Amino acid sequence: MFANRKIENIENEVMTAISVARKQQPLLNAMVSFMEADEAVEHAKSSSGKLAGLPIVLKDNVLTKGVRTTGSVSILDNYIGAYDATITTKLKDAGAVIIGKSALDGLGMGGTGTNCHTGFVHNPYDLSRMAGGSSAGSAALVASGAVSFAIGSDTGDSVRKPASFVGIVGVKPTYGRISRYGIIPYASSLDHVGYFTRSVEDAALALEVLAGRDDKDMTSSFRAVEDYLANLNGDLSGKTIGILGNVIDSIKNESTLKLFNDLVEKCKNVGATVKIVNMDPKRLQTCLPVYYIIANSEATANHSNLDGVRFGMQESGDTLEELMTNSRTKGFSFLLRKRFIIGSYSLADENQELLLRKAQKVRRLLVEDYKAALADVDVLIAPASGDVAPLLTDTSADQLSARYLIAENYMVLGNFSGYPSMTIPMGKINGLPMGINITAKPFEEQVMFDVAFGMENLTGCKNMTAEVMV
Amino acid sequence: MSFEVIIGIEIHCELKTKTKMFSGAPVSFGNLPNTCVNEIDLGHPGTLPSLNKRAVELAITACELMNCEVDRLIRFDRKNYYYSDLPKGFQITQQFHPIGRGGYVDIEADGVSKRIGINRLHLEEDTAKQFHHGDVTWIDFNRAGTPLVEIVSEPDIRSGKEAAAFVEKMKSLLEFGDISDVKMEEGSLRCDVNISLRPYGFDGYGTKVEIKNLNSVNNVLRAVEAEIVRQTEIYLKGESVVQSTRRYDEVSRKTVLMRKKEGAVDYKYFPEPNIPPVLISDEFYNRVKSQLPKTASQRKESYVAELGLSDYDASILTSGLDLSNFFDAIVRFGAPAKATANWLISEVLSVSQLRSDKKFADWIKPEHMADLLIMVSEGKISGKQAKEVFADMILGEAPKDIVAKKGMSQVSDEGQLLVWVTEILNGNAQSIEDFKNGKDRALGFLVGQVMKLSKGKANPAMTSELLVKELSKR
Amino acid sequence: MERISKKKVFKLAQQVMLRLTDEEADNIVAEFDTLLKQMDLLDQIDTTHVKEMIFPFEEPTDFFREDIVDHVLSVEDALYNAPIEEQGYFVIPKVVKD
Repeated sequence: MFANRKIENIENEVMTAISVARKQQPLLNAMVSFMEADEAVEHAKSSSGKLAGLPIVLKDNVLTKGVRTTGSVSILDNYIGAYDATITTKLKDAGAVIIGKSALDGLGMGGTGTNCHTGFVHNPYDLSRMAGGSSAGSAALVASGAVSFAIGSDTGDSVRKPASFVGIVGVKPTYGRISRYGIIPYASSLDHVGYFTRSVEDAALALEVLAGRDDKDMTSSFRAVEDYLANLNGDLSGKTIGILGNVIDSIKNESTLKLFNDLVEKCKNVGATVKIVNMDPKRLQTCLPVYYIIANSEATANHSNLDGVRFGMQESGDTLEELMTNSRTKGFSFLLRKRFIIGSYSLADENQELLLRKAQKVRRLLVEDYKAALADVDVLIAPASGDVAPLLTDTSADQLSARYLIAENYMVLGNFSGYPSMTIPMGKINGLPMGINITAKPFEEQVMFDVAFGMENLTGCKNMTAEVMV
Repeated sequence: MSFEVIIGIEIHCELKTKTKMFSGAPVSFGNLPNTCVNEIDLGHPGTLPSLNKRAVELAITACELMNCEVDRLIRFDRKNYYYSDLPKGFQITQQFHPIGRGGYVDIEADGVSKRIGINRLHLEEDTAKQFHHGDVTWIDFNRAGTPLVEIVSEPDIRSGKEAAAFVEKMKSLLEFGDISDVKMEEGSLRCDVNISLRPYGFDGYGTKVEIKNLNSVNNVLRAVEAEIVRQTEIYLKGESVVQSTRRYDEVSRKTVLMRKKEGAVDYKYFPEPNIPPVLISDEFYNRVKSQLPKTASQRKESYVAELGLSDYDASILTSGLDLSNFFDAIVRFGAPAKATANWLISEVLSVSQLRSDKKFADWIKPEHMADLLIMVSEGKISGKQAKEVFADMILGEAPKDIVAKKGMSQVSDEGQLLVWVTEILNGNAQSIEDFKNGKDRALGFLVGQVMKLSKGKANPAMTSELLVKELSKR
Repeated sequence: MERISKKKVFKLAQQVMLRLTDEEADNIVAEFDTLLKQMDLLDQIDTTHVKEMIFPFEEPTDFFREDIVDHVLSVEDALYNAPIEEQGYFVIPKVVKD
């Protein structure tokens, strides 16, 4: 934990983190590159920043100047960051010490941690299982205890789902709360910078450092950043909590439901009002296709800059077209190429009305439904996943045709709407973590943290770490 | 069979801003390659666009000058295609919601006034520059991201002369509006012409041919006229015009095929998700409107009405912004307006090629020009002397210094003049006789003698007056 | 919308500067079936009079960046990642002149 703790021996703190991460690397495979920390350590010693001396890890889609930033994609394998992302600068200014870049599903497109250019990331609780994705590496390293704070990104649940699978806190704040400048994009209207900690207090402090208006990101919010940590109040009496009924109805795993219901009972016992809220099920069923169509379309356009001409891995060609095609074909895995082709199809003039624009219209309806569901409650909650982390060999999670199960896909509502949403662990099922998702109204991160804090006190899952046998 | 010519013109104009459309890197002026870029202009991963305030102000100004309706909500779209000069793999433009719509400009061609409609005016960003070098191409991204407005006319233009007049008018509006440098030769104003023919009375449109990369108003005129001839010949033979893109070849004075149109390219336009709609507030809009610079026409009218210049002179002075500003500056320093106009038109313009790329005011200080013209008007030097002084001013010296150095000051002191006049009269009895006998030429002769004696310094007008006075005494 | 052909898949790939093997193209043809099914699901949602949602938050901004130079990369930094460079330029095979 790092909130309300001054790091006395910075060198020791950082060296330990690096040492643990290195030891765990052969097992977890969570890191892409380790960074030189000496300069940052020196700077941290004289820093009065909120994170002075704290070793952290950045998902490798966060730009770091002078440091390799690959986005976990072959075409950027040799790319050295030309600039620092805004959050990189903020973290450095707060005295944090970045010890390395963590693995992700290529370009953030994946939910398993099995599509990383550097290979599978393993769940610290069970190495034969996935850590989830796309922020697999960051999630694994916080769960394993190597670091207590790591940056991720969340476009369709890529922070909140892995958080559930590895038993930690995963936060996706309101859209525009944290600047996206310097984050390799996936889908611009769905991308959020997110992060992992092992306690809600840490999460509250982290947001104070990361949040704030950035003129370089025109979608970033002008709203003042609050004192989330100081104002943290875990008193659940008087809070109205809505359970998203559709999700409960779609969960088959009894253990998940039991964990969830137990927690709900405890909340009622300390004075929270709990009610079930339902959304239009037919519309909810469309979450996955709406997400894929919008995300693939935006991603295809966003990655048109990866062409081998100005940076990245270039394959030769006799003509410009050959050069670009060779570079991009070699530079992207089949899964990514597939996504781009489908995305391009959705963007084609003759298809846009039926695909992209239709999906964008349904998005609006879904957001209206979500807004209505939140209207009379402080937060909406549901288990973050139907089941615990799948086995690494379970490839069904990758098919586009995959389960339309609402339980596995509903968290994308947080991306459609931009509403702040976080996952905290609620317990374990056969030793494997399971999380609960909490979503609040736009810019009501304080309410979200307050409820999460209250629940954390009831779950006893604060600062849970996996024993990684090195 | 006679044909009606239908012409529409598309203009791309680089805006006079300090920084790029979507990044804070400087706009380039012939700098070394890739010295005016940042990660946004290079399309590096993770970068985001940030809208340039001045570019918006200039676009609104252009809309006002062209009588366009301004959309107060600025919205951008992506135009997607792959090319080596397009760093992001898409251009941020305004396909669906151009900032300006439904405007017009008035032109004059062959003495006839005509109104040409403006269909749209929108903001977008420029691409990089490429140079062919043997069997490779070199790319310089300095230009990438430079703010552009694209202005599309209605197909209201009917001849080469109208096309040239339209481009000339656009150049003038954009230049005097302080919106752009409008240097066609340098590419800060680019002009594409779309031209088709149809028989008179026919309702539809003939096949459109696009002529690109026209780099001067004259070439617009010539290209259009050449293309009309070409298309007419084709139709008269009973053949069809092929839809294509052509360029104008100055040597052969014909349009030349660049490429056939392959069928519409699908740019997959969709709204730019990284720029929310930007609202132009009343305060912003009114401020821009209240600061509209005077157009060339307005300046010309005020030169005629307020300064009493002739229509002709006023036209010449407002043919370029730099010249008009130079004129204004000289007059502001106290020079008489008409004399300044005459001087600029007859003396300065004839040698202005000596200044190469410099602005007039950087070549000859307006204050110096004013000094010169004031000295002439006050009679301190003659017009002839002024020309001599000017020749040295071009080399950079101040007129007062030149006059002093050359001892050129005209003598207007009555006492000194009387001394010379008396000496001349004393030595030219015959001339005095001639004058008394009504021979006017004698006076001129005597003035000339005084000028010779005074080595050109005597004030000729005063000398003449004084001679007449003295002659009457003799 | 008709079923997509393998030929069309190759063409689509080419449009985004990508190549596919035969198997990969087959895989994508099958994937398009999924896409069609997804479209059907969407079709069942009535969106008459519903506007597209482009941004999660739709209030317009009134922010404009001041036209002041604030950030330039040195030439070294600009060219640092260039695969091929020459005298300050990025180099590529000769492009067909436009």
